[in-house]
Amino acid sequence: MSQIIAVRELHKAYRRVKRRRGPLGAVRELFSPDYQTQDAVSRVSFTVSEGERVAIIGPNGAGKSTTLKMLSGVLQPTSGSAEVLGLTPSRQRRALAYGVGVVFGQRSQLWAELSARDAFLLLRRIYDQDADVFRRRLGELVERFGIANILDQPVRQLSLGQRMRCEITASLLHGPKLLFLDEPTIGLDITAKAAIRDFIREQSREAGQTVLLTSHDTRDIELVCERVIVINEGRIVVDQPVAELRRRFLSRKVITIQSATPTVTVDLPGVTRRASEAHTTILVVDTVRVRIEQVIAMALAQGGINDVTIEDPPMEEVIHEIYAAHASR
Amino acid sequence: MRFMPPTHRGEASFINVSASAFAAARLGALQALAAWPVLLGRVMFYLLILVVLAALWDKVAAEQVTPLAGMLPPEGLAIYIGVTEWVTLSVVAIERGFEDDIRNGGLEPYLLRPKSYLLQRVAPALGETMVRLVVLGMAGLAAVAMSGRPLPAPGALLALIVLGGLGCIVGMMLYVLVGLAAFWMRRVLPAMLIVQKLSFLLGGLVAPISLYPDWLFSIAKATPFGAHLYWVGVQTVTPSARLFCIGIAWQILWSMVLGALCALVWQAGLQKAVREGL
Amino acid sequence: MLTTYAMQIIAAIRISFADRINFFLQMTGMAVNNGFFFLLWILFFAGFRSVGGWQFDDVCLLLGIIMTVVGIAGILFGGYRDMAAAILRGEADALLTQPKPVLARLLARESFAHAWGDLVTGTAMLATLAGLDATRMPLAMLGVGLGLTVYVSASVAFASLAFWIAGARSLARDLTDFLLLFSSYPGSIYTGATKLIAFTILPAGFVVLAPVEFVRQPTSGNLGIAAAAAIGYASLAMFVFHQGLKQYQCGRTPTSS
Repeated sequence: MSQIIAVRELHKAYRRVKRRRGPLGAVRELFSPDYQTQDAVSRVSFTVSEGERVAIIGPNGAGKSTTLKMLSGVLQPTSGSAEVLGLTPSRQRRALAYGVGVVFGQRSQLWAELSARDAFLLLRRIYDQDADVFRRRLGELVERFGIANILDQPVRQLSLGQRMRCEITASLLHGPKLLFLDEPTIGLDITAKAAIRDFIREQSREAGQTVLLTSHDTRDIELVCERVIVINEGRIVVDQPVAELRRRFLSRKVITIQSATPTVTVDLPGVTRRASEAHTTILVVDTVRVRIEQVIAMALAQGGINDVTIEDPPMEEVIHEIYAAHASR
Repeated sequence: MRFMPPTHRGEASFINVSASAFAAARLGALQALAAWPVLLGRVMFYLLILVVLAALWDKVAAEQVTPLAGMLPPEGLAIYIGVTEWVTLSVVAIERGFEDDIRNGGLEPYLLRPKSYLLQRVAPALGETMVRLVVLGMAGLAAVAMSGRPLPAPGALLALIVLGGLGCIVGMMLYVLVGLAAFWMRRVLPAMLIVQKLSFLLGGLVAPISLYPDWLFSIAKATPFGAHLYWVGVQTVTPSARLFCIGIAWQILWSMVLGALCALVWQAGLQKAVREGL
Repeated sequence: MLTTYAMQIIAAIRISFADRINFFLQMTGMAVNNGFFFLLWILFFAGFRSVGGWQFDDVCLLLGIIMTVVGIAGILFGGYRDMAAAILRGEADALLTQPKPVLARLLARESFAHAWGDLVTGTAMLATLAGLDATRMPLAMLGVGLGLTVYVSASVAFASLAFWIAGARSLARDLTDFLLLFSSYPGSIYTGATKLIAFTILPAGFVVLAPVEFVRQPTSGNLGIAAAAAIGYASLAMFVFHQGLKQYQCGRTPTSS
C-alpha cells in the first residue's frame, strides 16, 4: 500500500514575547521585547498508508492540532519534513487542498443564512469539479446521509446532527483521498454519532480513503480507527493498532456478575471489587496475578449466578493510563 | 505516490478562478437578500441621513451667509449627498469578517481549499455590495422623486452606475487593507474609522471637495478616497463626459494599485500566520 | 446595588485594559477618528460661518457633549451595545438565577477601550472650543449627565425589542446609529417631521440639543425640560425592559438564529 503521509523529525517551536509587568514594562516590551521559545511539537515521525484510519489523540495542548496543521499546510514547521499525497504541505497547500477533505466539529464551513445546496454549488466551483461528476457525487452522498429533505433549508434551521451530515457531505463532494476530521461527533446524540462513524468506516473501506481523526470521544477511536497515535507534550508516546494498545497497556479485565444472591465474594490476590448495585458484582481482575478462569470458578462455586460478562477496560482508562505513565516519567 | 490535482496541476486557470469568483459573488448576493432586515435597516439609515444632510445644505443655501454658499448648486446638495451616501453605504464592512477570521482561527477552512482566501472572501462581499447598490439606488431614486427634485437623465444615471460601481470596488479594497491589518493589530476598528473619516474628508461625503482650498482639492482628488466618492458625486454637480473619463481612469488606477497592495499585504500576513500559528 | 455595579464595571474596565497596546491603539484610533470628523466641521464653518444661527462654538459644544456621552456610556454602561444580541442568545437565563437586577448585570458586562477616545476628545472639546468659561463647566457636566441618561435609556429600550422581535439585533444597532446621526448635527436644521422624530422616537433632541440649550441659556425651564426628559426616558426604558423580561420568563420570546 502506498504511503499517503510521511512525517520525519517534524518540529515546531513558537517564539512568544515574555510579558513584562507595569506600564514601563509595556513600553519596554514595545521597543525591546524579550522572547521565549516553546516547543509545541518535537521530532515527530510517523507514516500513514493508503486506506488507514488513524486517530491522533492527546491531552489539551499536547501538540496534535499543531501536527495536523503542519500536515495540511496551514502551519510551517520549524524543521523536519512532511509529505502528504506526495506534496509538501507548506509549499503546495493549494494543490494539496484538491486531495484533502476537512471536517471541523466545532466550526462550520457552511453559510448560516443559506441552504446547504447553495454551499455545495459554490464548493463545486472552488474545487473546479466537473458538473456531471458533481451531480453524481452529490446524489450519492445525499442518499447515503439522507439529507434530501433538508438540502434546501437554511443551515441555521438545521439540528446539529443534520448540520454535521451536511458538513461531511461538503468535505467529501470533491472526492478527497485524505480526510481530516477534527472532533466530528462533538455534541451529537448517540444515533447521529453512530451514523457518522459507520459512514467514515465504510468510505474508507470502499473508496480507499485515508482518515486522520482527532477526538476526545474514545468511542470514535474504538469504532472508527484501527490505529492510534498518542501525542503528549509535543512528542509521540504511543503509535500502535488499537487492539494492541489495549492489550499492552492494560492487563486488566472487568468481570460483571449478575446473581440471585445480593453479592458474590471472590477473595483472591489481584481481584478488586467496584461499587455496584445489589445482585450485581463488578470485579477488576489483574490477569498478571490471577487467571480469569480461577476467578470465574470461584464465583460459580457460590451458586446463583445468572450472567457473567468479561470485558476489556474502556478505552478511556487506557488513554488515561498512557497519559499518567508519560507524566510520571 | 504523488497526488495530481484534478486540473491544471494545482494552478487554477483564469476561467476556473472567474467561475469560482462569480459563484461566490452569487452566494454573497443571496446572503444579502436572505438577511433582508439588515438591508432594510440600511435603507432606513440611508433615507434618514439624506433627510438630515439635505436639511443642512438647504439651510446653508437659503441663508447665503458667505459667498461660498453661492457656489452651491441651485437645487442644493441633496442629490450629491444621495449619490455619495449611496456608494458609502453600499460597501460591505468586509474588514470585520477579516478581523474575525484572523483572530479566531476562521482562516483555516478557507486555507484548506484550493482557491485564494481573498477570492473566497472578497467575491461574496462584492455580490452583497451589488445587491445594496441596487436596493439603495432604488430607494434613493424614490426619495428624489418624492421630494419633487428632478431625477437624473438616463445618460447621467448610467454614468453614475458605472462610477458608483467602480467607486464601491475602490472603497472595498481600502477596507480589505484595513481588515488585513488584523494580522498585526488585534482590533481593526481604529484603522477602519480613520479610513472612513478620510473617505468622508478627502472623498467629499457631505460636500464636493471642489469647495476646499485649491491645494487641498488637488491632493484630495488624486487620493483613493477621491476615487471612492468624488468622481461619482461630482457628476451630480458638474456633469461632463470629460470628468467621467478622468474619474474612470482614476478609479481603475486605484483599483489596480490597491488590489496589488492587498495581495502583497495578504501574502505578508499569511507568511506571518503560517510561521506563528493561526 | 451601586457597589455591586461598581465592582462589575471595574472588572469590565480592567478587562479592556488587559492588552495595553490594544487599549492604546483603540483609544487613539477613536480620538483620531473624532479629530477627522471635527476637521470636516472646521472646513464647513471656514466656508459657511453658520447654519441656522449655530456657530462653530455651538457645534463644538454639541460635539463635545455627544462625544462625552458616548464615551461615558461605552466605559460605564458598555453592555448596552450588544444587549439585544445577548437577550437573543438567551444569556439572561444565567442572570435570572442570580440575586442582582438583570438590567444592571447586562449593562455592566462590557467596557470599551475605544470609548476612552470619545471621552478624551469630548471633554477636550468642551474645555477648549465650546466657548465655556469655568462657571459654565458644571452646567456642561450636568447637561452631559442628563444626555447620558437619555442615550443609555433609549439604547436599552431599543435593545429590549429583542424580547419581542427575532431581528432585533440589527434593528437595535440601527436605531442607536440613527440616534447618533441625529445627535451629530445642529438642531436648527430639523423642522417638521424630522424635528418630531428627533424629540420622540430617536430622542437626539434630549440627548444633546436640550442640554446644549440648557448650557447656553441655563434657565430653570430649560433644566426642567432636560431633567424631565431624562427621568421620562429612564422610566420608559425600565418599563419596556421589565415587560420584556416577563415575556422572557414566560418563554414567549424569539430564539436567536
